Amino acid sequence: MENTQSYFETWLKAQEKLFDGLIENTKRTQQLFINQQYPGFSGDAGGFSNPYSTWLSAVMKSLSEPGISNQVIKDNLSRIFGGSNAYTKLYEVWLPLMKAAQERSVNPEAYKEYIDPSKYKELIDKVFGFDSEATKLMLNQAVQFLELLSGSGQQFTAPWVDAMKESLGAFPQLAQGHPESFMNMFHSMFNAFDNTVGKVFHVPPVGRDREKLELILRCLDDLSVYAAKNTEYQHTIYITGLTAMDKVVERLAEKITSGEEIKQFDEFFDIWIDTSEQAYYKLFKTEEFAKLQGELLDSSLDVKAHFFKLMESHLSDLPIALRSEMDDLYKTVYDLKKSVKKLEKQLKEKAQ
Amino acid sequence: MKAPFLSFDAQSLIKELGDFNTKFIKGVGALTEIDEIDVGTAPKELIYQEDKLKLYRYSRNDPNTCRTPVLIVYALVNRQYMLDLQPDRSMIRNMLDHGLDVFIIDWGYPSKVDMYLGLDDYINGYIDNCVDVVREEAKSEQVSLMGICQGGTFSMMYSALNPDKVKNLITLVAPVDFSTNDALLFNWSKYLNIDALVESYQVIPGDFMNGGFLMLMPFNLNIRKYVDMLDVIEDKEKLLNFLRMEKWIFDSPGQAGACIREFIKYCYQENRLAKGELMLGDRLVDLRNITMPLLNIYASGDHLVPPAAIKPLNDLVGSQDKTLYEFKGGHIGVFVGSKSQKELAPAISQWLHDRDSATQSVAETAEESESAGIETASEEATESTSKKPGRRKA
Repeated sequence: MENTQSYFETWLKAQEKLFDGLIENTKRTQQLFINQQYPGFSGDAGGFSNPYSTWLSAVMKSLSEPGISNQVIKDNLSRIFGGSNAYTKLYEVWLPLMKAAQERSVNPEAYKEYIDPSKYKELIDKVFGFDSEATKLMLNQAVQFLELLSGSGQQFTAPWVDAMKESLGAFPQLAQGHPESFMNMFHSMFNAFDNTVGKVFHVPPVGRDREKLELILRCLDDLSVYAAKNTEYQHTIYITGLTAMDKVVERLAEKITSGEEIKQFDEFFDIWIDTSEQAYYKLFKTEEFAKLQGELLDSSLDVKAHFFKLMESHLSDLPIALRSEMDDLYKTVYDLKKSVKKLEKQLKEKAQ
Repeated sequence: MKAPFLSFDAQSLIKELGDFNTKFIKGVGALTEIDEIDVGTAPKELIYQEDKLKLYRYSRNDPNTCRTPVLIVYALVNRQYMLDLQPDRSMIRNMLDHGLDVFIIDWGYPSKVDMYLGLDDYINGYIDNCVDVVREEAKSEQVSLMGICQGGTFSMMYSALNPDKVKNLITLVAPVDFSTNDALLFNWSKYLNIDALVESYQVIPGDFMNGGFLMLMPFNLNIRKYVDMLDVIEDKEKLLNFLRMEKWIFDSPGQAGACIREFIKYCYQENRLAKGELMLGDRLVDLRNITMPLLNIYASGDHLVPPAAIKPLNDLVGSQDKTLYEFKGGHIGVFVGSKSQKELAPAISQWLHDRDSATQSVAETAEESESAGIETASEEATESTSKKPGRRKA
């Protein structure tokens, strides 16, 4: 029971840490917008940063208002927040280009000098809801959790876990690089661990504990496959985003060449949305993307399935109903209900 | 010296973004003043309940002019109140106004106890029970079945198994041939490991399904929609219209594991329904058994269920009286667009009246409809594939 208590304590701490992380992330996001300045840009930058501060406080106030209990309104506020965030982020990404255009001539070939790829990545993250920090946090916690389950006294997984933590630190950078290297790295780590410390798991059977240790190893491997697939997926999305950006510039150049002028940001926003949507539709339509998406989901389901199995194994000593036991119960209820309904129908037909 | 590439005016850009944020602040204020988002307000009465399913009959102030009751079978993916989103965008009210006796199934929100419910339970269990209740309530031997989207596919399956209970079949944006890759969902589903998904979730969360729908047009659905919304946010009525739709979009029930597994596997991945290989319980679903009049409606701009997945139904059924109706618009526009209210709903009502028993009141209604121009609108928009020329009256 001591081990169980320690498990719950660590689980609770992990939850607290997760929420602390979320709060910190929210604060950073707010700060980013409240303090947003564009030094060197001719004009009154405060002209739009001030309303932003006011707006943010209004949003925060309204969200915390106890009187607003309507979930649809709350959800909508959140979505509007997300949409405007992306709108403003696009503004931020293209601001240096606009500034350059104002000061001197810019040509389509040179536009990339003015675009910060990391900011553009943030914009794409917002559209698709990617959060590399959250992914890192999730993987980190999963590893901590597995470390605990493996037996804190033995520290069997410690070397592996340390190596994984280091690798996780590099996640955002890797996300922009070569996805296959991520997969290779995790598998090399896993193999190295399996061939050294992991040998201990291959000793003669030690009953349920051995099964648990094998499951832990399996979970670690699942996590590595998931992380690699996730990176590959995000990489594909980013690359398409960059291609779309090239197309946006091409379209703008075409318009300018034909004598049109793009004076409003909204016009630019429309071109960006339409061009990006087309580029992603082209990607989404490919068999390769459909396959990759399927594999990503599959890998996440593997993680989930083995984690559940592991948790069941740990919770089996407690006086609570486990998921597999509830599944059996649901099946029994389903079968009984079906039989009763069939009999009732037969009775009704006979009565008629 | 190259030609100037862009000619933005910094001051006006700043003003533009400033205006945008000002709209935001006002909009958020307007949003927080709204207490209730009412949907599905047409009066109705609960007449049957089984597990989480509820069957309603819509109230009428005057007697119906079409004798055969209409049972609406909605998809499991979203909620049926889409058909009665608001009083002036309500296919239900429109059908009631045109003299129909309308019943609707509310599938409810499945929980884990429902995870083993399969296609057989939905089609041969729930729908069959509802059809029997409607027949009894309306004192009618048969019903007109009107299936929407996935509910339309269910209605085809049911009608093929129970042609004696279905007088007319209407399918709206309902897929039958899943071999097409014209829409992303069809392509993506082929690579979906549905067994692992169901094993993991048991009841697939509505949010999971919504995530997939949003991915179909991520830039428009995640960004532009909310940026554009700011232009109407100060108009309370328009804002409420927007919010009603938002409520519907994100009000997604979970999917009972066994049912979604069979639907994805048998339909999307193996195309068994169109191939005539689908078994429900111990019975083969043969679409050629659909011999009743068929009205098959598709939307030309549907990005969820493309016309290529819908149109083949008319070639697969055994009906002599079959009509293919093209709606110029998208998947959702079929139910809430102004064209839907002005053209489609009256056309459906007219089509049903035409196939109903000839009674004094029916004849009067048809006359009224024709004088209101509904017949003309219907014929213009309808591409009839009927082998028998003219309309049939029972």
